[in-house]
Amino acid sequence: MPRAFAALRRSIPLAPPAAQKKIIFFSAAAATALAVAAVPLLAHAEEARPQAEPQDIVVIGPTGSTRAPAAQSTVVEADKFAGEVRSVAEMLSTSPGVSVHALGGPGQATTLSLRGASADQSLVLLDGIPLHGPGGGAVDLATLPASLLDRLVISRGVLGAQFGAGALGGVVELVPVHPRGDRLQGEARLAAGSFGTFGASGSVAAPWASEGKGVFAVQVDRTGGAFPYDQQLTPEVAGSPYYEFTRENADAWRASTLLRAATPIASSTEVDLLFQGSLGDRGLPGSATAPTPRSRELDRSAMLGARVRGTAGPADVSARLWGDLDLIELRGVSAFGDCADGAPDCPRSHQSASALRGEVEAGVPLGETQWLRGTVAGGMDRATGDATGFHRRGVFSASVSDDVRLGALSVFPAARLDVVGQDVGVSPAVAATLRPWEEPIELRAGAGISFRAPSFSELYLQQGGLSPNPDLAPERARSIDAGIAWRTRKLTLSAGAFASWYRDLIVYELFPPAAVKPFNVGAARILGLELQAVAALPLGFAAELAYTALQATNTRPGTLEGHSLPYRPPHRLFVRLAHHAERFESFAEANWTASMPRNSFDTAFLPAQLLLNAGVGARVAGPLWIDLEAKNLLNDRTLQDLFQYPLPGFTLAVIARARL
Amino acid sequence: MNRTRILPLLCLLACGGGVAPPQQHIPLPSGAQLKPYDPANPGEARPLYTAQLGGRVYATLSNARAQGNFVVTAGPGFLAGIDPFSGNVDLIDLGGSDEHQCTNPGVVRVDSGKLYVACSGDFSGSTPGRGVFEVDPNGKTVSRGLVTPEGFVPSGVAVTATRVWLGDSATPHLISVDRATFAMADGSDPAHPPIPVTCPTTGQFPFVPYVGIVAGDLYALCATTEAGVLGRFDAQTGAAKGSVAVGAQPTEFAATGDGRIAVVNSNENTLTLVTPGATLTAQLALTFSSSTSTLQDVKARGQLVYTVASGSNTVQKIDLAAAGGPKVVAEANTGLGSNPFNLEALDDDTVVVVNYATSDVVSRTLTTAQ
Repeated sequence: MPRAFAALRRSIPLAPPAAQKKIIFFSAAAATALAVAAVPLLAHAEEARPQAEPQDIVVIGPTGSTRAPAAQSTVVEADKFAGEVRSVAEMLSTSPGVSVHALGGPGQATTLSLRGASADQSLVLLDGIPLHGPGGGAVDLATLPASLLDRLVISRGVLGAQFGAGALGGVVELVPVHPRGDRLQGEARLAAGSFGTFGASGSVAAPWASEGKGVFAVQVDRTGGAFPYDQQLTPEVAGSPYYEFTRENADAWRASTLLRAATPIASSTEVDLLFQGSLGDRGLPGSATAPTPRSRELDRSAMLGARVRGTAGPADVSARLWGDLDLIELRGVSAFGDCADGAPDCPRSHQSASALRGEVEAGVPLGETQWLRGTVAGGMDRATGDATGFHRRGVFSASVSDDVRLGALSVFPAARLDVVGQDVGVSPAVAATLRPWEEPIELRAGAGISFRAPSFSELYLQQGGLSPNPDLAPERARSIDAGIAWRTRKLTLSAGAFASWYRDLIVYELFPPAAVKPFNVGAARILGLELQAVAALPLGFAAELAYTALQATNTRPGTLEGHSLPYRPPHRLFVRLAHHAERFESFAEANWTASMPRNSFDTAFLPAQLLLNAGVGARVAGPLWIDLEAKNLLNDRTLQDLFQYPLPGFTLAVIARARL
Repeated sequence: MNRTRILPLLCLLACGGGVAPPQQHIPLPSGAQLKPYDPANPGEARPLYTAQLGGRVYATLSNARAQGNFVVTAGPGFLAGIDPFSGNVDLIDLGGSDEHQCTNPGVVRVDSGKLYVACSGDFSGSTPGRGVFEVDPNGKTVSRGLVTPEGFVPSGVAVTATRVWLGDSATPHLISVDRATFAMADGSDPAHPPIPVTCPTTGQFPFVPYVGIVAGDLYALCATTEAGVLGRFDAQTGAAKGSVAVGAQPTEFAATGDGRIAVVNSNENTLTLVTPGATLTAQLALTFSSSTSTLQDVKARGQLVYTVASGSNTVQKIDLAAAGGPKVVAEANTGLGSNPFNLEALDDDTVVVVNYATSDVVSRTLTTAQ
C-alpha cells in the first residue's frame, strides 16, 4: 500500500469507509450525553405501576391522526427505566429493529442503526425537530439527555413521505417531558457508580398564567471513565493470554437543560415554546490498539422552537419556527492520532452547523372516515468549519397524507416533495392496518420510497486523507413490510417482516495516490424479521422480549456482491423481567448480539456479546426510592464495540430518586 | 567480515554462549538530525519500507509531521542504516543539494550491493521530490537519481541487471529506467509509453502498490478497495506474461522458499499464495484472525513467511509447511499505537520491525509455538 494510505490508515480507526468518515467527523461532530443519564421518576409511588406496552404509533386524537404511521413501530416509555441508569441508546436498544453502535464506554459517541441502515440513514427528532451532527450527518445519541425524555417512538422503514428525506431506515421520535396535571410537580434524581460516575437531574412542572403549563428540567452527568478491560496482544496465537489495561482519557461530563412552556392565547389556540441546550467535554480515548490519550472534544448545542396550534372550523392548524446550533471543538487531534494541545503543530479544530426552519401544518376531516393533512416547510442549513469551509443550502418540503377508514381497514397514503440544496426528490408511501375481527388482532403493511441527500461532510469535508466529493447524488431506498399484532390489556405480541433495497449508497473508496473519497457506488438489500412480546404478569411482574433477525447483503456488482454488509448483527435478542410493587422493584435483563462481520468480505468478525443487567430498589421513605443497579454481571472485560473500542466490565450504580 | 558482525561473534567466542540478541528498542533520529525545512517545526522519522544489506537493516524515513489532521513533509527523505545489534543508526540524506530531490521515500530494494529507493514527492506527480535514487551504502551517498515523468507517482521499485522498474500509485502503469545510463526507458516518451498493468474489473481507481522481481520475472500488484491482481511481466521488455486475481487491496508480496509468491491482502485480511507456472494460479492460504488488521508487509525465509499488521500492532510468523496448511505459528506485539510497517527477519525466530507511529525500531522473537 502506498505509504500515503498507510498514514491514512494510521489516523482513521479501522472501519468500513462509510463509518470511517463518521468516526473522524464524530470527533468533530455531535455533542455527547453520558450514559449515566437520569430517567424520569416513577409516577406516584403508592401506585403499582404497570410496565410499558408497545403502543400504536398512530396517535389518534380527537381531530384525527397527527401523522401517517409506519407499519412497524414501538414506543418505549422512559418511565419504565426509573431507578436504572439508562442512556438514550440503551433505551432504544430494547426495541426490535434497533442496533446501537457505541464507541466505547459511558459518554463516548453512540450512533443508531435502524433495520440495518447506516446511522446517516435514520432520522432522530426531538419534539418533531430533526437533530443532526454538525456536518449534517448522524446524531450522536450520547449527547441526548435521557432524563429529559418522556418516551421514545421508534418507527421503522423507509419513511421519507411521513417524516422527510433521510428516513431510509426509520425514525426515532424523542418526546420530551411535559407537565402532567394542573399542580406543581417535581422530580429529582441522584446517581453514583463505578469509575467515578455521577449524575443528577431534576425537573419542575408547574401551571402558570391562566391555563399555561411549563416544565423545566436539567441533567448533569460526569464519568471518570477509567474502567479496566482485558485485551489480547497476540490474537493469532491460540490460547494467547489477556492482559489488563485501564481505559485512559475516557472521562466525560455533560450538562443539559430543557424548557417547555405552553399557554392558550385564544379559545382554541395554544402557543408552545421549547428550548433544549447541552454542553459537554469528553476525552477521545481512541481504539484499544491505537489509544489517543491527549485528544478531547468540547461541544455545545442549542435548539429553540416556537409553535402556534389551533383550530379553524373543523381543521386544525399549526405553525412552527425553529432553529438549532451545534458547535464542536477538537483538541489534541492529529493525523498521527493525538498531539499536545497548544503545540504549534496541534491546532484546535472547529466545526459548527445550524438550521432554521418554518413550517405550517394543517389537517381537515373529510367526512366521518377520512382525515387529510398537509405540511409545507422551508429553511436553511449551514455548516462551517476548519475542515469543510462555509456552506449552506436551502431546504423545502411539501407533503400530504391521508387517513382513510374503511370499516376494519385503515389506509394511510402519503407523499412528500423534498428539496435539499440541489437535490429534489419525491417520496411516496402507503401504510394500512386491518382489524378483521376488531380486537385483538391487527394486520399491518406498508411500503415507501425515499432518498437521503448527501451530508455537508460527505460533500465538503477535507480532513487528512479524506477528500470531499461535491458531485455526490442522493442515496435512494425503497421498502415493504408487513406484520401482525395481538394486543390485549395484558399481552402484546407482534411479528413483522420487511425488505429494503438501497442504491447509490455513498461509499468511501481509495482515491490514489493519497486519499479516500466518497462515491455513489454502493447497493444493498436488507431483509429482516422483528418479533416483540410484552406481558403484564400477575403480582406486578412484567416481561418483554424483542428479537431482530437481519440479512444485510451487499448487492453492488463486483467482488463484494453477495457478501454481508459489515456491522449488521444477524440476530439480536433482548429479554427483560421486571417487578414493581408499592415499596419494592427489581428487574433482570439480557441483551444478546450475534457475531457480525467487521469487514465487507466475511473474513473478519466481531464476536457475539451477552450482557446481563439487574437491579433492585426500595421505597425507603415517602416518595424516596433507593435503587441499586449492576450491569455486565458476567464481568466480561473483553467486550469491544465496532472499531476495537473497549467496553466496561461489571459496573455498579446507586440511584436515589423522588417525585413530588 | 562485516564489522557489524564482529561484536556478536566475539561474544560467541568469549562469552561461551549464543549470539547476542538484537537491541529490543532503537529510537530513530529526530529533530535537527532530519534537517527540517523549518527548524521550528521538525518532523519525526516515520519509517516505512525496509531491506537488508551487509548486516544492516535499511529503512526509508518519510520525515513527516502532523499539521492538524494533515501529514506534511518536514524535510528531505532519508535512508537509515540500522545495526540491529549495536543500535547504531547511519543516516543517508536523499534530498540532494537542495534537500528536495527526494521526499516521502517508499520502497527500498537491494541489488548488487546498492540500494534503490522510490520517492513519491508530495504525491501530486507534479512537484520535485519524486523519482528513483541509487544509494551507495558504503559511501552513504546517493550515487545516481532520476526525476520521474510528470504525473507519475513512484510506488514501488524492482531491479534487474538492466532495468529499474517503478510502479505508479496514481494510475495502473509501470515505467522503467535504464540501469546503465539511469535514463528513462519505458515511459520516457510517446514512443516508449508506460506499460499498462492488468487490474481488477471491480472497484474504483486501480493503482500499483508494489513491484518486485521473482525468479527473473517482474511482478506488479494492481489494487482497488475490493479486489487485487498480481501481474507478471518480462523483466527486460515489460511484455505481459499473465495475471491472476489475489485478494482485496493487496499491499506487498514476497517470494517464498518453495518458489511461490506470498501476497498480503489488506482489506480482505488474507494471505494468498500464487504459483508461477505456464499460467499463474492463486489460492487462499490463510485468513487472519478477526483481531488482526491492516496487513502491510510480507517477507519470506524458506518455508516461513512473516507478515506485519499495522492496525493491530502485530507481526506474525507463518509456516507454509505446517500440518493442515499454512498456519500462524508465532506472533508478537510491537506496542500499543506503534503502527508497525515493515520487518526484516534476521533468522527464523528473530525479526526487526520499524514502527511508523512511534518512529522506532524494535526486535521481536517469533519462536514457533509447540
